[in-house]
Amino acid sequence: MTANASPPLLEALDVSYTYSGLTPTQALEDLSLEVKENEFLAVLGPVGCGKTTLLRIFAGFLRPTKGSVRCAGSSIDGPGWQRGYVLQEQAIFPWMTVRENLEFGLLAKGVAPAARRAVSDQFLGLIGLSEFEAAFPKELSTGMSKMVEVARVLATDPALLLLDEPFGALDAQTRARMQDALAGLWERRRKTVLFVTHDVEEALYLADRIVVLSPRPGKVKAHFAVDLPRPRSVETRFSSQFLAVKRKVWEATGAGP
Amino acid sequence: MPSLRVRRGAVALLALAVVYVIAAQVGRGRLPDRIWMGAHYVENVQLLPTWHSLAEEGAFLLESGILLDSVLVSSGRVFIGLLLGSLAGIVLGLLTGWGARVESLADPWVTLFRFTPALALLPLYVVWFGYGEASKVLLIATNVAVITLLGAHHGVHAVPRVYLDAAASLGASRWLRFRKIVLPASFPSIFNSVRIAAGLAWVTIVVAELIDARMPSLGYLLALSGAYPRVPTMLIGIATVGALVLVFDLLALLLHARATRWMGRAG
Repeated sequence: MTANASPPLLEALDVSYTYSGLTPTQALEDLSLEVKENEFLAVLGPVGCGKTTLLRIFAGFLRPTKGSVRCAGSSIDGPGWQRGYVLQEQAIFPWMTVRENLEFGLLAKGVAPAARRAVSDQFLGLIGLSEFEAAFPKELSTGMSKMVEVARVLATDPALLLLDEPFGALDAQTRARMQDALAGLWERRRKTVLFVTHDVEEALYLADRIVVLSPRPGKVKAHFAVDLPRPRSVETRFSSQFLAVKRKVWEATGAGP
Repeated sequence: MPSLRVRRGAVALLALAVVYVIAAQVGRGRLPDRIWMGAHYVENVQLLPTWHSLAEEGAFLLESGILLDSVLVSSGRVFIGLLLGSLAGIVLGLLTGWGARVESLADPWVTLFRFTPALALLPLYVVWFGYGEASKVLLIATNVAVITLLGAHHGVHAVPRVYLDAAASLGASRWLRFRKIVLPASFPSIFNSVRIAAGLAWVTIVVAELIDARMPSLGYLLALSGAYPRVPTMLIGIATVGALVLVFDLLALLLHARATRWMGRAG
């Protein structure tokens, strides 16, 4: 622990993780990173570099083989709503309406129906799905389903948000729209976010800071601060400042010239 | 597309009826009417009763109330057996599926029962529960329970990990995850098995009713018509059982559709 003014909300210290099996696979090696309160951190890395493993460790589903992870000063031992986790896969509950999905975390917390309804009303408005409140997820697009998942996690008011490539399965246009929606949501209710992606532009557009991971076993390869003004817009994506940072990050990922 | 399916089914049934009527007319006077019953010959047997004698027999069965009473009694047994068996099977299947340790204990039992025809239990049930309602209803229930147990068990095991993880990280307790995730997610498998069990329940009841000679019941009606033998009665009995199986299957299908209306494609 450093004698810093604001201690990190989330931190990983020398974390290694090896999947056991016939051929044990080391997914992470001596990885250390920290996320400060209200910071939007993007973890960028190629497919298979252990990003999801890292997130599942933070979410409490995996225990590091070596090293430690802490959230708000105490070590993580199991999943909990304080660390809101949006999975990479489609995880909206198909047998629940949009509203029931949004209220699920509150139901788990034992919040009274009237209070649940007030919160879900608010989030239905925020993600623009008020008229879909009674619809089943089969009527939603993939992108909207993902936004419901993000909102469902936010509705419990967690200390931080763990997002695992939430827009990975979307086309470029929908993806950009969802990024705007997420950015909008985040600017209105500032949260600590750890966002995992393999998309450089997405990381730049959303994050305050970027951590680049190496291919497997994942370890921190580079850090970048993204000092782009907020709120960000289409203009941001084409600004010279954006492109300059993009070039640096691109090169750091090893995909550059 | 249900209307198309219904229309197709109706056309197929109609075609079958037409083919039968033609065959019966052609066979009239040409088929033997004297058959060997093992110990003696029986005269005046209609192997393929004509449309006319079927209608006559049908009218008699309806007017006397035999057919309706038999339908009610047999349907009642199937319904109660189906209800009891489904409840027991689903509860046990959910338990064995959800409790990781119970599963390893229960698996050999499930396998043992799965391949044991429930009808093999008939003599035992008669000895244990007597010739009355209990043995028949319990026989159906046993048969149904084995199938719905497997359906619920596999339903629970097929619940995608992602939903359980998402629920857990939203803070859901084990009980809440069971109620709101595991249960609804295994509905398709459960109600599918109920549908299969409904058909099998009819197989069970007809055979079970063949054993105890008591009217009214569809099984005994068939047994009696075999003893005389009266082919028109047999055919009407068989068609009635078939129709009832269809009705029960439709009910189970509706139940399935209702429980899984959230799915992209139901049924």
